[in-house]
Amino acid sequence: MRVTLQEELDQLEAALQEEGSLVLRALQACMNALEQSDLELADEVIAFDDEIDATYLGIEEGIQSLLARQTPVAVDLRLVLAILHDNLHLERMADYCVTIAKLTKLVHEAPQDEALVEGFREMANRAEEMIRVALDSFRDRNVSRAEALVDLDELIDRANRRVVGHVLSLGGDPDLREWGLRMIIVSRCLERIGDHAVDIGEQTAYLASGEFREFTDASHRPGTTPRDL
Amino acid sequence: MPDMESAPAAPARIVGVDESVLAAREQEAAPRRDVLFDVSDLTVSYAEVPALRDVSLEIYRNQVTAFIGPSGCGKSTFIRCFNRMNDLIPSAAVAGTILYHGVDLYGPEVDSVEVRKRIGMVFQKPNPFPKSIYDNIAFGPRVLGWKDGLDDRVERALRRAALWDEVKNRLKASAYSLSGGQQQRLCIARCLAVEPDVLLMDEPASALDPISTTAIEDLMHELKRDYTIVIVTHNMQQAARVADMTAFFSVEVDEESDRRTGILVEYDETPTIFTNPGDKRTEDYVTGRFG
Repeated sequence: MRVTLQEELDQLEAALQEEGSLVLRALQACMNALEQSDLELADEVIAFDDEIDATYLGIEEGIQSLLARQTPVAVDLRLVLAILHDNLHLERMADYCVTIAKLTKLVHEAPQDEALVEGFREMANRAEEMIRVALDSFRDRNVSRAEALVDLDELIDRANRRVVGHVLSLGGDPDLREWGLRMIIVSRCLERIGDHAVDIGEQTAYLASGEFREFTDASHRPGTTPRDL
Repeated sequence: MPDMESAPAAPARIVGVDESVLAAREQEAAPRRDVLFDVSDLTVSYAEVPALRDVSLEIYRNQVTAFIGPSGCGKSTFIRCFNRMNDLIPSAAVAGTILYHGVDLYGPEVDSVEVRKRIGMVFQKPNPFPKSIYDNIAFGPRVLGWKDGLDDRVERALRRAALWDEVKNRLKASAYSLSGGQQQRLCIARCLAVEPDVLLMDEPASALDPISTTAIEDLMHELKRDYTIVIVTHNMQQAARVADMTAFFSVEVDEESDRRTGILVEYDETPTIFTNPGDKRTEDYVTGRFG
């Protein structure tokens, strides 16, 4: 038994879960800021990203050091590679939260469309659930649970398409139109967070099976789950 | 990300590569492997106790094949079968077949001396003769009566073993004046001087320092263009670095008699063994959880 290697793997995995919980906090906070036009909170979300970046870098450096010294192979190697990918996916999710916070600051004086804000709340809840499922199924090496992320993602995708349709129907008021265009980006951010959660699920399947495959493939089966709407 | 293997022809049009080029590339990617040794149901026993049981595998020409596994798994016993070294142990018995170029290596018409000329062996500890560097290399050719162009033959063997530049000015010096790593390359050169087909290496670098080890590994990489190399190694990372194919052997313990027998657990391309082995026992071994 390679005790040092196992300890380092455990530490990396714990750090990844920690990063995931930070991302969840950022997502909740940026949605609260958006709903309540809370500029202070939006600024906090933006500043909070430094903390997530620090965790990201810590994991990155840990992996670099582990690869240089421990030469992991087989399931250990796959775990390290999966953490490397998941780390980046989580960091990207956090960046989307920052984007939402910045958009919140840009639109805080514009009129709000309650229906749309309600739609975002729903999307954000789903994104949160997906992050949790992604992290839990990775921790438990539960491939079937990870695969369920595809169905959850489909719901976010649908909501995203509804937002686009709704914004197109907003009409000619320039203020509302500007707000609507920015809200399309918010919607897109939430939709992308869902995509990254699916990608983490794919890493779980890779870790368990040793073969990478995409759960859905936008470039090969058009019309199934167009993740890149 | 598109699936690279089953990607349709469309990307070819995008980058301006025509399909025949892609097809050729695909063919290139598929390894072309000639079977050099075909081992089937090989069992080796010492005093009627099997040390290695029911091994079947194919060794491919111009590749490096590594045997790994814990102590007592029979990997050294196995490699010694390829040049009939076990013949020298009176109690050893070999059952099953090893075909070499399609010929049964243990067939009655096969001359074991001829076998050892064509299938050379390098051991864990460098074992030069107590002679000069030159005479070590010239020994084999002289025994075979190859008297013409001996100097050229010696130089060629030393060059191929990447030793020439280090020894060309002191060929008459004793082989014992060389460092351990140099002595090991001398032993490799001594094998090469009789123009073998196969090099068997039983832990060729385990007694060497890291720099000399790298030199031997680089040499294996060079030599596989002209020879087929089979190596036994305790160092898993060495197998991962140098081998095209890796066979993992393990030990089976009979609870009643407490007899330990080597078995072949898994044989596959090296990247598969070290990224996604098919057998749990292989995984436990390569990840260091067992053995």
